[in-house]
Amino acid sequence: MAVAAERTETAEPILRLRGVGRRFGGLQAVDGVDLEIRPGERRALLGPNGAGKTTLFNLIAGEFPPTAGTIELFGEDVTETPARLRARLGMARTYQQSRVFVGLSVEDNIYLSVLGVQTGHVFPLRSAKRDAPLRAKARAAAAEVGLGGRLDSLVGELSHGERRQLAIGMARAAEPRLMMLDEPAAGLSRGERQILTELLLALPSDVTLLLIEHDMDVALRVAQWVTMMHDGRVVAEGTPAEIRANQTVHDLYLGSRYYDE
Amino acid sequence: MSAVANAAAAKRSGPDAVTIGGWALLAVVGVVLLIAPAIFDSYWVSQILTQALWLGIAAVSLTFLNRYGGMVSLAQVAIYGVAGFAMANVVHTLNSEGGLNLGWTPWLGVAFGIGVAVLVGLLFGAIASRSYGIYFLMITLALSLFVFYFFGQVTQLSGFGGVRSVSRPGLVGDTITHPTPLYYVCLGCSVAVYALLRYVVRTPFGVALQGVRDDPERMRSLGYNVPLHRTLAFTLGAFVAAIAGILSVWFDTQISPGSIDITQTIAVLIIAVIGGLSRLEGAWLGAIAYAVINYYARQHTPTLGLWLNPGRFATIIGIVFLLIVLLSPDGLIGIGGKIRRAIGRRYGGGGARPAESEEAGAGEQAEVPAAAGTPASGTRGGLNQRRA
Ligand SMILES: Nc1ncnc2c1ncn2[C@@H]1O[C@H](COP(=O)(O)OP(=O)(O)OP(=O)(O)O)[C@@H](O)[C@H]1O
Ligand SMILES: [Mg+2]
Repeated sequence: MAVAAERTETAEPILRLRGVGRRFGGLQAVDGVDLEIRPGERRALLGPNGAGKTTLFNLIAGEFPPTAGTIELFGEDVTETPARLRARLGMARTYQQSRVFVGLSVEDNIYLSVLGVQTGHVFPLRSAKRDAPLRAKARAAAAEVGLGGRLDSLVGELSHGERRQLAIGMARAAEPRLMMLDEPAAGLSRGERQILTELLLALPSDVTLLLIEHDMDVALRVAQWVTMMHDGRVVAEGTPAEIRANQTVHDLYLGSRYYDE
Repeated sequence: MSAVANAAAAKRSGPDAVTIGGWALLAVVGVVLLIAPAIFDSYWVSQILTQALWLGIAAVSLTFLNRYGGMVSLAQVAIYGVAGFAMANVVHTLNSEGGLNLGWTPWLGVAFGIGVAVLVGLLFGAIASRSYGIYFLMITLALSLFVFYFFGQVTQLSGFGGVRSVSRPGLVGDTITHPTPLYYVCLGCSVAVYALLRYVVRTPFGVALQGVRDDPERMRSLGYNVPLHRTLAFTLGAFVAAIAGILSVWFDTQISPGSIDITQTIAVLIIAVIGGLSRLEGAWLGAIAYAVINYYARQHTPTLGLWLNPGRFATIIGIVFLLIVLLSPDGLIGIGGKIRRAIGRRYGGGGARPAESEEAGAGEQAEVPAAAGTPASGTRGGLNQRRA
């Protein structure tokens, strides 16, 4: 893909972490992470189990505050900003364990994602007229992730793979500037991974993507730039080719199940 | 999941759509309720049906909060008590029997009572909105006890033993000699409340509320103000409960702290549970069952040595409730679903009932029994337990 060329060092970063750390009791899950991501970039976050990748996502999304450092999103310091306001700035994420609304239909799930970033969504008696374009957007996003035929299905009845698709559809539907996906390929079949990879490659070029992925095939095909984490710290950064050749990365992944895949 | 089941799932529009069969049943029930004063004697109309209708409104405020908001509230009776006391104090009471007796017109009293209860609901909702599961339950229980003791102790507002002979609007009239008008008022309010809640749950607010029920943290990360949503839902529940509170005062002609004590709180919880928490209709079903069982147990409890005598009718009531809940975790609604499924199984092979095949989608008769069961009861039965 040609997007690699768009990584211009001059553009203002969309996300900037400075010395971000998070401690859980005696455990330093994330430790002094500096990270800069530019608009339109596709970045993979790799690292063995327990490296602190998901924790870093949670810090960026605002699930809990960092114990050290600052986080800037779209040029604003959001270190103290609550999660729901960060979402409204234009950030969407998925979770390692799919978190969808099992008591609602596929369409309603995606619709909630669209609605969440609208202003005045809380007003109880919003008119159906104002609502129609949001519904249309939700249905379009469902079709995009291959759930167009299951709009009215209860999410509780979906398969694991379909829930993963739904989670990505929800993230897409909010039309975020920054999209963060936590292991979207986990538990998917080979065919489903292929579809997922294509979906990610087809994202509009102005969407910035931060991707945690153990599946090297998916991660290295989609990403132009890779950050490697271990024990809460960033241990390597570079292009997929550089990462493949990096000795530290080999040491971390060698013999592990991920490298074999 | 099979293609057939997929088709069935795709056919219905949401987890709690009313089916053709459901509409037919609703229509029959509606007609019976409309002509009830002509077919039942006045005791039945008053003590069973009217009471069940207003109790059903109180219970549906709980069912709504649980089914769509994942909140089990024990404050609904307290809130309807606030509405009842607020109204009873400002309107004219005959012979000034307790209360402030400000002499307002009855309709002004209604507006005031509901208004105060909604404000109290907003406050209580804001207090409880950040708690989940058992903690939410405990907070609402505490608020309910607070209201009970408040009215028990502030006798300026509750008189000694209640505010009696509360004046009613001309529309309702004397409920003792002419129970029919109040019956129709309660029926009208029930229909209005049911329609309102069904409408609300399909609005953007209602869908968001269900999202909050399923995963509040996920909703937060989608940009929603979760405590605000829960507070507003609780306030809507308070509005519904307040209507029940007004009707209860008209029904009893009085209100006392005893009308909103812990026994009544539990009674409304029982009504909601035996009716079935998976559908709003369950609240009124439970209320009818409660009123009927209550009535017959008091009349006909047999004497069985030391174990049972007419004075122990409460034992019978308890046993019947236990049986209902044991037979079906989703109460009477769940039992209704089982019966429908049994009928579907019996006749499903040859010719499915029109209503059933409508629900399952045309041409899938072999799958009818499995696909046409109660859509919601499987996943939504019982109290919602949220992580704390
Ligand atoms: N909320 C929490 N409380 C306590 N410890 C936590 C919490 N979240 C994460 N941890 C710990 O922090 C460390 C990093 O976890 P994290 O989930 O970020 O790793 P990860 O890189 O996402 O791993 P995986 O590849 O297994 O998903 C782990 O040791 C984990 O047990
Ligand atoms: Mg993780």
